Amino acid sequence: MKWVTWEQVGVDRMACAWLITKYLDPEAEFLFVPAGQKPLPEGAEPFDIPGVRLSHHRGHCTFYTMLRVYDLRDPVLERMARVVDEADTVQDVMLEPAASGLDVLCRGIRRISPDDWVALERGRLLYDALYAQLQAEATEGGSEAVGRGSEQSFDVSL
Amino acid sequence: MEQSQETSWVLLVYKIPREPTSSRALVWRKLKRLGALLLHDAVWVLPATPWTREQFQWLAVEIGELEGEAYLWESHLLLNGLAEALAQQFQARVDAAYQEILSELEQEEADLVVLSRKYQQVRAQDYFHSALGTHVRERLMRARGGFAS
Repeated sequence: MKWVTWEQVGVDRMACAWLITKYLDPEAEFLFVPAGQKPLPEGAEPFDIPGVRLSHHRGHCTFYTMLRVYDLRDPVLERMARVVDEADTVQDVMLEPAASGLDVLCRGIRRISPDDWVALERGRLLYDALYAQLQAEATEGGSEAVGRGSEQSFDVSL
Repeated sequence: MEQSQETSWVLLVYKIPREPTSSRALVWRKLKRLGALLLHDAVWVLPATPWTREQFQWLAVEIGELEGEAYLWESHLLLNGLAEALAQQFQARVDAAYQEILSELEQEEADLVVLSRKYQQVRAQDYFHSALGTHVRERLMRARGGFAS
């Protein structure tokens, strides 16, 4: 199916595209529109655009919202959502040192990519790497072990 | 200080129910963390960048979810000199925070971990690239001791 978001992708949109292709829709086709453009193209699911269903809710990033909406239960994804939350939104509590680095790298990837499609493609490697590393830490069960569902859940009703 | 006549600004005006007070506090804390300036107890303002634009948009949506109401504009100042004055207000606040770090660095046994984190927070709000920021960064590097370079 088709998915649409604002152009000039950053940390959250790259994370969402990674999630979509990997867990929801391997054949996903992405469309990009200029920030603020309305109306959005018909027949495409919008994400990470203010006001749509798949976007920020209650101070959480769109990646976090997507885990809830699509009921993806995986502690490693939960922790990735925490990282993206801290990278993309204003947070009082900062627990993930990877967050600000991830944000910088995603911005840099967009900068060196000719368009948003290429940026998403290149961003995949970062998120595969992040997933693998967080998964390894979870298995080793060190102090960085993932939370045990302590994040509060919420209903997205729009 | 980097400044031009062409600076545009994002402006946020919002209203939020008095209760629960936690919602009001949440929004207020976010505005503080973004380094937004409250003009005449009426309008919250930030210099417009892709990042501030997006952060204000998300905040406006969040205010709606908290049963408040928010208006968000992007604008230019039409009176000569006011853009500079406004930029200076941002600058003055950031410089005060940098100055605080510098005085704390003078203390014996200054906590470098805390101060460097504080530096990062201030720098995130340093929209006009204060020269003092560079100075603080150098001082922190020197304070860590050990090898010079």
